[in-house]
Amino acid sequence: MDTFLAEIEQTIARWHGIAAPNDPARRMAADLIATIRAFEAQRGTLAFEDEPASFEAALLETREE
Amino acid sequence: MTKLADLSLVEAADAVRLGQASSMQLLDALWANLEAVNPQLNATIWLDREGAEAAARQADRAVRDKAPLGKLHGVPLAHKDMYYQAGKLSTCGSAIRQDFRPAITATVIDRLAAAGAYSFGGLNMAEFAQNPTGHNKTFGDCHNPWNLPYITGGSSSGSGASVAGRFNYAALGSDTGGSIRLPAAACGVTGIKPTQTRVSRYGVMPLSFSCDNVGPLCRTARDCARIMTLIAGHDPRDPTSSHLPVPDYEAALDGDLRGLRVGVPTTYFLDGADTPVVQAMEQALEALAARGAVVRRIGLPLMDAISACVGIISRVEGATIHAQWMRTRAADYGVHISSRMYPGYTIPAPYYVEALSRRGPILKAFAAEVFATVDVLVTPTIRTCLPTLEETDIDHGPPGTEVKFMAVSANTRPFNYLGLPAVSLPCGFDPNGCPIGLQIAGRPFAEVRVLKVADAYQRDTAWHTRRPPVLDAVGALGAAVA
Repeated sequence: MDTFLAEIEQTIARWHGIAAPNDPARRMAADLIATIRAFEAQRGTLAFEDEPASFEAALLETREE
Repeated sequence: MTKLADLSLVEAADAVRLGQASSMQLLDALWANLEAVNPQLNATIWLDREGAEAAARQADRAVRDKAPLGKLHGVPLAHKDMYYQAGKLSTCGSAIRQDFRPAITATVIDRLAAAGAYSFGGLNMAEFAQNPTGHNKTFGDCHNPWNLPYITGGSSSGSGASVAGRFNYAALGSDTGGSIRLPAAACGVTGIKPTQTRVSRYGVMPLSFSCDNVGPLCRTARDCARIMTLIAGHDPRDPTSSHLPVPDYEAALDGDLRGLRVGVPTTYFLDGADTPVVQAMEQALEALAARGAVVRRIGLPLMDAISACVGIISRVEGATIHAQWMRTRAADYGVHISSRMYPGYTIPAPYYVEALSRRGPILKAFAAEVFATVDVLVTPTIRTCLPTLEETDIDHGPPGTEVKFMAVSANTRPFNYLGLPAVSLPCGFDPNGCPIGLQIAGRPFAEVRVLKVADAYQRDTAWHTRRPPVLDAVGALGAAVA
């Protein structure tokens, strides 16, 4: 088992008390590396917003009239 | 002469209202098809013939008594088995809830009942609405009416199969990542995922509070429009539901597409698409252009950001909802369910918050760029020819099966993140005889527009009227209406 996956299993067990239910679960946990890379590529693009905003407000603002 | 079970929802409802058919005749016609084909499709989890007959008798009495009749008076329906009806079974497609009888009734069920419809059963679905294929460990996999070894799409598998199999006029499904549009596409029916907040979710099993949507799967866009008019609108019991007024979606269907700007994405949605799927979409675009639409090819902004965020929200929220059962009853889940939830427990909270907090700004930027140029986006609902149940069976397949499994919903998930309304309707068949779905998405609250485009297309094409071969053996069962 690689270190990354071992860390994930330990973290989930420690924080949630949940064990890996099966091998596909371990494979999919290992695939989180792709999620991390996708978020790495987005770093710096999240703008700090001074005004309150929400998704629901955006739905209304961009709606079809 | 059209057999009663072959009528669309609107035709069936109008037949009852006009006295051309009784509610009991509709029920009998559906039941004849159900008994003939459902043993092969496995689209139902439970049935209530006795209760349905009582409702049909009451509906027919109201017609005889000239009582006020609702828009769906006397129409039997069955829904995905996650719409709570007080005291009735609601398994959510799971072993864990196989005896669950909620104490409340979903608002959308109440609204359909107020329009005169009644329920006759609970439909098969992915366990806890968590797969895009229709596999189910507890109640058995649902099979595609057009080619039995192939997937129905999920998670509203029984909703798609029962409507395509002509033993249900319409079914409610739910859509968190494509679960209405995928079975609509795979089964050759029409389904709409409304704008996020458009339809109440009170009394509906949650998968992901931020991305869950309620909507119908039907034979036609007009059928969807009728149901949407009935179920949309604010519900005090679901404070997240929108206060915007609800238009009469059905009345807006006029076939007029002159000047409509149709955008076809040049990025993301056709990556790795199969040739028969692309050809079917191109032919559909020609049909829209023949009605006056203007087709434009456009690149879409922010798809990398959307792709990064899209899976995070539902994964984390789904894992959170199921945490206690994952501790105590993990073996009761299908392998493909528990395995997909498991990584959700280690996604950092800042990632989840970022995915949520970027949703509004991304929607605004996406809408400003895309909908300044086009009115709707058209894509394949599923990029590839349909896979088989075996090819996407994570529980029993080799490592890597999950890649084909996840690819099924690649084209539907982005619109859940953006909260946009999107309809899927049939536009052809692949070389295996399985339907191909066309997805039409619009601005927030543009249900009228996307349904109007779908309806206009169905005025000129007959894909939605085709009957699956599984019905060939049924022969002349069922009464007819002139």
